[in-house]
Amino acid sequence: MEFVNTRKLQLQQQLQPPQQQQQHFHVLAVDDSVIDRKLLERLLRGSSCKVTCVDSGDKALKYLGLVDDLDDTTSSVSLETSSSSSPPPQPLEQEGIKVNLIMTDYCMPGMSGYDLLKRVKGSSWKDVPVVIMSSENVPSRISMCLEEGAEEFLLKPLQLSDLDKLQPYFVKSLDNTCENEPANSSIDSDNDDNVIIINNNSISKRKAISPEPHHERSRPKMKELAVV
Amino acid sequence: MEVGQMQRQWLDYTRSLFLEGFLDAQFMQLQQLQDENNPDFVVEVVSLFFQDSERLLKDLTFALDQNAVDFKKVDAHVHQLKGSSSSIGAQRVKNACIDFRNFCEEQNIDACLRCLQQVKEEYCLVKNKLETLFRLEQQIVAVGGSIPLVEPTQMSF
Repeated sequence: MEFVNTRKLQLQQQLQPPQQQQQHFHVLAVDDSVIDRKLLERLLRGSSCKVTCVDSGDKALKYLGLVDDLDDTTSSVSLETSSSSSPPPQPLEQEGIKVNLIMTDYCMPGMSGYDLLKRVKGSSWKDVPVVIMSSENVPSRISMCLEEGAEEFLLKPLQLSDLDKLQPYFVKSLDNTCENEPANSSIDSDNDDNVIIINNNSISKRKAISPEPHHERSRPKMKELAVV
Repeated sequence: MEVGQMQRQWLDYTRSLFLEGFLDAQFMQLQQLQDENNPDFVVEVVSLFFQDSERLLKDLTFALDQNAVDFKKVDAHVHQLKGSSSSIGAQRVKNACIDFRNFCEEQNIDACLRCLQQVKEEYCLVKNKLETLFRLEQQIVAVGGSIPLVEPTQMSF
């Protein structure tokens, strides 16, 4: 008898980009860990995002054209923008670079994710949602980031279910007239009290609740082994 | 050995790694991210983890060998190792790092050296286990079989 399974990625079903998406949703991912960058890139590419990864806040600022120093020649950074004091004609575009979402690690050598957040929110990129990620669940850190304008705070390690929390942002920034707050997403039942739900700037920690139906589909089922 | 047996062996081995705490649910997340478009995802991420860890362990050994130990630096390295082991689901390495950080805070050199030894041992163990797992996978794929999908409930933890 034939053994059927390959590891099919179930999340394609769960994370179809919205129909109206004309071009790729572009995420700038900032993390000093090569493992976390790889994981994040895979998670985001799996939901049809274009991903640019940089390994520091400095490189992120350079990518966004927010520093004057253009001496850096690393290939991971695009340097075609120059820092400009006047606002760009379109809110999400600056000399050809479009970023729909910034996801940054909190704890990085040099510039922290919080510092990066502040710089971004004080710049012409201030309307781009910023998501902070951290391996440490520190309530004061979380509220500090939210107060500074972070849209979400995700606990590492990132999982497939975390992408659900980002779905509203995928839609929101593509539809300028959309005014809905991101809906609370359900929590994957394997997360044992380490998930923060952000709702109107208040933080509530929720225990595992019953997952939405589409979570079930994301769990691959083990088929019976055929024993010959 | 035919494919069904190899797959059974793979499942048993994987199950044991979870039961013995070498791997946790995060490793399953990695497995779920592997598909036709990313057929070697798990091996790729784990290989990055091996490289990164070896660098960090070297740096830690060096840092603790200094006359005046810079505990902030030691802690920073351990924090990184804790993060990466957590990201791939290497639970015992992660837990060893958590203990390690506590002793960094206390600035207790002897305890830190013991922790470093512990982390190194756990790292070697999980490295061997994962390499064995990957070899089993290669054998299955080589005979045209496919790697089983696993569900958390099947892993009995």
